[in-house]
Amino acid sequence: MTQATDTSMVELQGVKKRFGDLEVLKGIDLRVDRGKIISIIGPSGSGKSTLLRSINNLEAIDDGRILLDGVQVNRPDLKGLAFERHINHIRQNMGMVFQHFNLFPHLSTLENVTLAPRKLKGMDAKSARELGMELLERVGLADKAAVYPSSLSGGQKQRVAIARALAMRPKVMLFDEATSALDPELVEEVNQVMKSLAEEHMTMLIVTHEMAFARDVSDWAMFMDGGVVVEENTPDDLFTQPDQERTRNFLRKHLASQA
Amino acid sequence: MEFDFSPVITYFPTLIKGIGATLLIGLVVAIMSIIGGQIVAVITLYTKKTVNWPLRFFIWLFMTTPLLLQLYFLYFGMGQWILIPAIVVGVLGLGFHYMAYNADIFIATIKSVSSGQYEASRSLGFGHLATLFYIIIPQAFYRAIPQLGNNMIIMVKDISVLSAIGIAELVYLSQYAISVTFRPFEFYITIAVIYYLINVLMETGQAWVERRAAIRR
Repeated sequence: MTQATDTSMVELQGVKKRFGDLEVLKGIDLRVDRGKIISIIGPSGSGKSTLLRSINNLEAIDDGRILLDGVQVNRPDLKGLAFERHINHIRQNMGMVFQHFNLFPHLSTLENVTLAPRKLKGMDAKSARELGMELLERVGLADKAAVYPSSLSGGQKQRVAIARALAMRPKVMLFDEATSALDPELVEEVNQVMKSLAEEHMTMLIVTHEMAFARDVSDWAMFMDGGVVVEENTPDDLFTQPDQERTRNFLRKHLASQA
Repeated sequence: MEFDFSPVITYFPTLIKGIGATLLIGLVVAIMSIIGGQIVAVITLYTKKTVNWPLRFFIWLFMTTPLLLQLYFLYFGMGQWILIPAIVVGVLGLGFHYMAYNADIFIATIKSVSSGQYEASRSLGFGHLATLFYIIIPQAFYRAIPQLGNNMIIMVKDISVLSAIGIAELVYLSQYAISVTFRPFEFYITIAVIYYLINVLMETGQAWVERRAAIRR
């Protein structure tokens, strides 16, 4: 049922998505190999966030196939509860990080991280606590374990959100503009955490506006506009010598606005 | 006219019983109306209209008619066919009445929890119901605390309406004491002060709970 090879972790084949009359994804093909990092850039409304959300089925696609480690994510043949069971299981293997963090404000930092392993994997309180502390340690926030999200800065919230996603030991991490809502001086601490994941060969898909970071961290870069992949290449080539006029225009405008 | 509070002192043990009854009824009604209101809100928001229609009608009935009428209807009206003990009618009537109001609050606070919270939970692998249970409802509850507290403070005063169907709460027992001592003014002043104190205590408690909840929002 799958053409995915041993090395393919995420694969999209002819993925289409429409909102009403508006086609936001017009047949996307994409492949992320195990341990590789792909950055997706593009103007707002280009479909890059929708693409990332489709992989997790937060947006249900209308056509095409999405595979995670050889298992089909979208299953038009499954309805209702059967599909919910299927997607819940799939999602446990994907960590999603959102632009607006979406930490659970009613839970402490540690509880945010341990809730899913405790309730979904049946991990006992002690092991969950050890796991949670280990992950908070790794994002540099072990000292904040007992506090509630309302007292954290944006950068700290996003680092906790990354720890929360890692707690399910995902096969792939999806970052949806993880630093876009942060004050400029807080971006770096989140980027550092993402870099450390890259060094451990976590498979990642990163939707971002941070061109320098994307160039630095990723193995492959894609430029999307109008629901299609306009151009893709190694980051060095895509950012320094893009083939397409649209890519050049976007990068020029973006660099001008950041200067 | 001179005041004589000595009958109040004589009958104070009776008033204490009334306070006890009022507080006990208040506690039961509070638990029933908060848990019930939460359930009604969830059913109203997350089931099809055809499923929740009877429930909404029921709630609508309790919200659009006076509490006293509801109690008369349940006790004397229904009493033509089935005699339900007054205390059961009182607690259920008041419970349903405030369940309707609390459900309204929960509906608003559940809606106010951002869709990002739902998505974050689902993306971890939680199902729809687990997400409601672990994420949405607890947050909606914390957000509802200020208004819930206000409702419960009003509810405790409404318990006095239960005297109309013969429940021996604070007002009912003071009426009894007045009928024996003929000192209405002194008794009414006294129970007014008692209600005032109950209110102050509840408001203090509410403020404390609100402070604790604020860091979780």
